[in-house]
Amino acid sequence: MVAAGVTLVSVLCAGLARAQTPPAPAVPPVSAVPLQSSPLYREVIDDMGRTVRVPQPVERIVSLAPSLTETVYALGLQDRLVGDTDYCDYPPDAQKKQKVGGTTNPSIEEVAALRPDVVLVASINRFETVRALGDLNIPVYETDPHDVKEIIASTTKLADVLGAAQNGAALAADLEQRLTNLQQRLKELPPRRVLFVVWTDPLISVGKNTFIADALSKAGAISIVDAMQDWPHVSLEEAVQLQPEFLVFAAGHDENSSVDLQALSARPGWRSLEAVRNHRFAVISEAVDRPAPRIVSAIEELARQLHPEAFLETPETPAPTEKQKIEPYNPAPTKPAIPPHGILSGLHEECREARAGACDR
Amino acid sequence: MRPLTFRRLVVRCAALAGILFVVVVLALKLGAVQVSLYGLARDLISFALHRTSELSSNYSLIVFDIRLPRILLGIFVGASLAVAGTSFQALLRNPLADPYVLGVSSGAAVGAILAVIIEAHLALSPDVAPLLTPVGAFLGALLTILAVYFLGRRDGQVDSSTLLLAGIISASFLSAVIMFLMSTLIGRDMRGMAFWMMGDLSTPLQPSLNWVIRLGFFLATGAIYTTAADLNLLLAGEREAMHLGVDVPRVRIVVYVAASILTGLAVSVSGAIGYVGLLVPHVMRMIFGSDHRILIPAAAFGGAIAVVLADVLARTVAAPNELPVGAMTALAGAPLFIYLLRRRMV
Repeated sequence: MVAAGVTLVSVLCAGLARAQTPPAPAVPPVSAVPLQSSPLYREVIDDMGRTVRVPQPVERIVSLAPSLTETVYALGLQDRLVGDTDYCDYPPDAQKKQKVGGTTNPSIEEVAALRPDVVLVASINRFETVRALGDLNIPVYETDPHDVKEIIASTTKLADVLGAAQNGAALAADLEQRLTNLQQRLKELPPRRVLFVVWTDPLISVGKNTFIADALSKAGAISIVDAMQDWPHVSLEEAVQLQPEFLVFAAGHDENSSVDLQALSARPGWRSLEAVRNHRFAVISEAVDRPAPRIVSAIEELARQLHPEAFLETPETPAPTEKQKIEPYNPAPTKPAIPPHGILSGLHEECREARAGACDR
Repeated sequence: MRPLTFRRLVVRCAALAGILFVVVVLALKLGAVQVSLYGLARDLISFALHRTSELSSNYSLIVFDIRLPRILLGIFVGASLAVAGTSFQALLRNPLADPYVLGVSSGAAVGAILAVIIEAHLALSPDVAPLLTPVGAFLGALLTILAVYFLGRRDGQVDSSTLLLAGIISASFLSAVIMFLMSTLIGRDMRGMAFWMMGDLSTPLQPSLNWVIRLGFFLATGAIYTTAADLNLLLAGEREAMHLGVDVPRVRIVVYVAASILTGLAVSVSGAIGYVGLLVPHVMRMIFGSDHRILIPAAAFGGAIAVVLADVLARTVAAPNELPVGAMTALAGAPLFIYLLRRRMV
């Protein structure tokens, strides 16, 4: 009996010792109470229709989504960004910001300790996180764009809330202009029928209500998958029957977990796809996964790969870079191709969770 | 074993309460954000003296508004699970019985997912909406327990092994339902549910719900405690207990209902936190013996200590990321259970 008691105590002690070893990241010393004294607030309505009281001016921003971190940088407000998540990797400078955890499981106390004027959340964050921050009277501004147009509108609105309305308007004008130019080039061309591959095992694509589907259409493509679900599980049979002209992948940034596109063409099922046999792969930046201004670059990138003929002579626009000068039909990749796997952005995490949920239960 | 006197009971409970207090102070200190022990002590004294204005601003937000509610929730969830586990083990006379073996957590999960699905179709005010998931989970848990109770009867009598089998089958059936329902959820709800099912204490409760949990815990535990002496006799076997004058059907219904309510309440606010209800009763039985008059309060303290400690680990191991507390209890609980098993202590 004593032994059992000792065991219990030692197990508890071991647990505690372990709990103490990883030193918590240093938090800047806190001198003052959150600026309750300055009564300047502005009531704004976020994308979810909630009224948020945001202190003015906004000096301390915490972002809980990679897309929002990118947006803050795109608006030139990076100096006010005091914290972001482990997945916020673009631009590279964002990795140096104080981390508050992942997108699904951030540490609420870490967020609170940063004394943010506003916390930016997106649809990849859990409702529970939003609720927990709200209970602490921390202003939480939610964004929820569903297509490219809404991404630009949401960015403009966010810019205004953060006190950078001019930057927001300029950014939006630039993005709109680039999209209009692109539509000009593509207007005569029939859209390519593509399969956007989020995940290969099992094959997961995008539904028609996602902003990715909208981004595809802006790039002169149309998804062969016509699902109401956001991340539909597509059977290979169906893909073979529909025979997409191109497979579209978003590049990962994690080189280690790459799946060779070459290997895909050796696999049963996949090799029945004409697009695989003819190496009609389009690999674009992972920006396509993030509802942030950079998605327009991903759209342009995809358009160039799917419709190179529209970019052959470029009288007005700046000449495409070496990388973008791709011959028709994107010949077999010579260097190891970029993976559909290991894409660590929030959206892919979502799919991985979807799979985990489906398998475990 | 010396006979249990009131004095001995109080001394032991006081010792356990002391350990719990130390664990709570540790849990207040440890976390993603550094809090000095000195500052914490000063704050605790100010807090105890109701001099809230003297609290050091920023840390008091973290310690008292974020960590303390979470610790209190952990205490009641852990205590409920351990008391329910002790009761089920005595009632079913099966060392493997735990609050979840009768399919309660699966039933609660189905209820919670249905609540999330329904919530999307109702325009609820922000005050009511957070209540829907716990209420759904609680109803799911209670319906499952009722169903298992009626499935587990044989010739009008509740039979322990039939009841266990009915529980196990219901759990696996409900798991299939969960799998199906999860596949229909949108990404955001799915993430929330996945976390919920792994056991999560990070979401603060509505204050009203907190009181329901506390009141429910004391009422149900009190009800179980009134049968403590009968449970001791029941260990010898139902027939023997009946010969010794125990009203077995009454004890069974009281303990079954009260333990189910405890489980339902715990699951509805924290998701499935495994191993606490299975392991804590065994450990407490090894330390304090199998007299339920001391075992039930000891299990309550033990469960509270275990869950608060597990939550400290969940908050600190991967800080600033937060792990689900259910993963921590399973990670620590399974090896401990195997160790006890190999030493023939279970």
